[in-house]
Amino acid sequence: MSVATMLQPASRQSRASSSSSSSFQPVARQNTMSSHDTRSLRQSKRMSVTALYLSMSAKDRDLEISDDLARAQKHLRDLKSRISSQSKKNFVLEKDVRYLDSRIALLIQNRMALEEQNEVASHLDDTADPQEGFFPNDERTQKYGNLLFLLQSEPRHIAHLCRLVSMAEIDSLLQTVMFTIYGNQYESREEHLLLTMFQSVLTYQFDNTPEYSSLLRQNTPVSRMMTTYTRRGPGQSYLKQVLADQINALIELRDVDLEINPLKVYESMIKQIEEETGSLPDYLARSVTAEDAAENAQVQAIIAPRLKMLTDIANGFITTIIDSVDEAPYGIRWICKQIRSLSRRKYPDAQDQTICTLIGGFFFLRFINPAIVTPRSYMLIDATPTDKPRRTLTLIAKMIQNLANKPSYAKEPYMASLQPFIQQNKERVNKFLLDLCEVQDFYESLEMDNYVALSKRDLELQITLNEMYVMHGLLEKHSASLAQDQYSHLSVLLQELGGAPPQVPRKENRTITVPLFSKWETALDDLTAALDITQEEVFFMEAKSTFVQILRSLPQNTSVARRPLRLDRIAEAAATLKNDAVMVRKGIRTMELLSQLQDMGVIDRSDEFSLLRDEVEQELVHLGSLKEKVLDETRKLEEVFATIRDHNAYLVGQLETYKSYLHNVRSQSEGKTRGGKTPKNQELGPYKFTHQQLEKEGVIRRSNVPENRRANIYFMFKSPLPGTFVISLHYKGRARGLLELDLKLDDLLEMQKDNLEDLDLEYVQFNVTKVLALLNKRFARKKGW
Amino acid sequence: MRPQREYHIVVLGAGVPMRRAQFVQNVWIESYDPTIEDSYRKQIEVDGRQCILEILDTAGTEQFTAMRELYMKQGQGFLLVFSITSMSSLNELSELREQIIRIKDDENVPIVIVGNKSDLEEDRAVPRARAFGLSQKWGNAPYYETSARRRANVNEVFVDLCRQIIRKDSEGSRTSSDPNRKREGPNRHDRKRDNRRPRRRGPCVIL
Repeated sequence: MSVATMLQPASRQSRASSSSSSSFQPVARQNTMSSHDTRSLRQSKRMSVTALYLSMSAKDRDLEISDDLARAQKHLRDLKSRISSQSKKNFVLEKDVRYLDSRIALLIQNRMALEEQNEVASHLDDTADPQEGFFPNDERTQKYGNLLFLLQSEPRHIAHLCRLVSMAEIDSLLQTVMFTIYGNQYESREEHLLLTMFQSVLTYQFDNTPEYSSLLRQNTPVSRMMTTYTRRGPGQSYLKQVLADQINALIELRDVDLEINPLKVYESMIKQIEEETGSLPDYLARSVTAEDAAENAQVQAIIAPRLKMLTDIANGFITTIIDSVDEAPYGIRWICKQIRSLSRRKYPDAQDQTICTLIGGFFFLRFINPAIVTPRSYMLIDATPTDKPRRTLTLIAKMIQNLANKPSYAKEPYMASLQPFIQQNKERVNKFLLDLCEVQDFYESLEMDNYVALSKRDLELQITLNEMYVMHGLLEKHSASLAQDQYSHLSVLLQELGGAPPQVPRKENRTITVPLFSKWETALDDLTAALDITQEEVFFMEAKSTFVQILRSLPQNTSVARRPLRLDRIAEAAATLKNDAVMVRKGIRTMELLSQLQDMGVIDRSDEFSLLRDEVEQELVHLGSLKEKVLDETRKLEEVFATIRDHNAYLVGQLETYKSYLHNVRSQSEGKTRGGKTPKNQELGPYKFTHQQLEKEGVIRRSNVPENRRANIYFMFKSPLPGTFVISLHYKGRARGLLELDLKLDDLLEMQKDNLEDLDLEYVQFNVTKVLALLNKRFARKKGW
Repeated sequence: MRPQREYHIVVLGAGVPMRRAQFVQNVWIESYDPTIEDSYRKQIEVDGRQCILEILDTAGTEQFTAMRELYMKQGQGFLLVFSITSMSSLNELSELREQIIRIKDDENVPIVIVGNKSDLEEDRAVPRARAFGLSQKWGNAPYYETSARRRANVNEVFVDLCRQIIRKDSEGSRTSSDPNRKREGPNRHDRKRDNRRPRRRGPCVIL
């Protein structure tokens, strides 16, 4: 198979190939350019080819440029790869913490058998990152490399697989797909391939959902994919940017009640009157119907200002979201665009309203609203909101949801009083949802990126043994459907690999680096032919990119760098540079290129090669603004990285706490059976902390101590036995503490499980999670606390 | 007249909230209406007694699973709903039940399994036997098939669940402390109350 056919977009290939199963919906190639605008088409191709050359030469070690831009770009690349690998770690950690959350709850309630305790303990011991390792044999590494390259560069296989696997299998598949195979979240080729896979799965769902009403509604592999996708770096940072400030401001108002359900309002009103006056006046019944409650004048008076406030808050959310349409991650917008075009295709008569409802079903229901109602699990806030702000957030999310839906008030008639909010906002939200879809397709650049990927010699993937075996196992299990044609590339590779090995124990799991390459590789020369460009253009591109490289390497204030550029002088200057063989080579090469292009009649010495010169100058201007963009992006991503790292610290802390607790429980039960032998039970601490210190670290949530006395307050923490702590509060100059609190680790964990945030020390309230973290840091014993 | 009783019921299950609108209002609503959470009241008569049900209709959408735990803490009885046209919606229920039992710390939480959309018999993907099998596995949790469109069995579901809650209530009041639960060591809940209170030392100090 030639490179040309191999690299066709999936549609052409699958149409031509008999290997595609009948259910597979080819990825339609959508060309964004109108046919009459050939100039822009050509230019875009030209830009892409430049990108190709720049990218290829960037791989060339001896052509390294080290100006400010290059340094900034390198820093950005490093940052991106750190974010990618960190968010994968967090994904895995979250899974572990979820598992342990449920187990620990049982343990705390003393409902876990010893064998199970051991099982949990072994799970905990293995949560460390897998170590690096190698395949025992090169041949296998190579075969897996071939397979992974095929899976990565032809997303249709994974898309097909996603439809075949069960909901139980989908999580491990998605982990491998989203965080490993397409794990470089900021690399356009991997991102685009991942999105292509999305499209294929979405298309299938549209084609196979009989009812319009249940489209995108059920929990399917697609919905799971969307959730996982929105959890990657770009989605997270967007949510933080548009939601964090407003949610944080809202949860500060711990006691503001914005309930508007008349029944609930009536009930709390009754309760309050009773508490204040000790009895109920005769005209107020203890229980009333919803209608009566809604009719009650006092209830109405309470609700009216709340409606106004809710409307103001929700308007604030909507405005921020609408204003930051440009900040929405490309991939999320692109998915919205696919939903729009698939809806139009399936329901040609659908009104914009209907389409907006479907887009909103993804953007608001699956992306924005979950973060509003459970902001803590999206790292937007530190603590779970208290009841009243939580209810407010739910109401806000419901209002936003109703904007995207055709709201019905059958179940909750009182929501109808927010109708004016819907009417005021409907239009701008629908416009926003359609604006979201206005992003460019990427097929043009994806094609280019794929060529580039082929030309790279050092494409590789870091993957764990178990990820690879899971993937292999799933492919094998569903091979009847995935690889019907025994001569298809996938079939051939699967046959060569043989049966999938079983999962290895977590302890033996290794991260290995697999070089990716195609088994059916072709020479790079063919690329030019496949690209359908002439030799002149190739020379022109090469000349342009080489001149740009030279200019970037020369000191800024060199005389030859002055505009207008004299290309022949630049070439000469480079060619005669002392002690720099690379530059000399480039200089000579540009001289050759200039004369060849002159001979071909592309450029003209008499007008100072103005055609080429202008493009080189433009490119340099473009690169200048590029640096600003790079720096700007870096600033944003630094924040993202910080958030992800914070979250990681939180997860690791949580695991540590569980670990210590479990060791502690086990050593106690062991102690019992061994007849009360109590080794190494020496007291730890005490450690002293000032009020100011704990306040700064957020351990103190609230303090009733007057400002001027705070300097005299300090705390002592000690651990007389593993798992037991004593916190005492002291006042300077007094020998004995004022207060003492005995704490068991169980209690703290249970409080945390029940979402109780406050540990009450009368004069101050401690934050339970922060106390756990502090104890964890200070009193970590080798085995248990 | 006996006083009215009020019970908290939580509806959980696959993404079919739209179909449940019928449970309360006697209108068929054909709209695309993904829920976050809806709450409403319903009054029913159970064995001659008037009961008020406070029903929390939750999102079937998995993105909102972080809220489930809270719902489960609040509910006294649970409707676990699946669609008879989707096997995976049935499979999702086991995980829900496990979580309820864990959070309630009680194997015998009042639960009713509901197979919805029985009017779509031609699209049935879950054989009745499968659903009954699940019911048996769960200690004979009652199983109903309902049709919101035909208003079939809707009321029965709530009456059954409510009856379970009432029975549990009266059992609970007969045996004040549960002797069946084995606990090691001292009763933790008593100990906890002592421990979390700070002990005051020395004379009262005003800061």
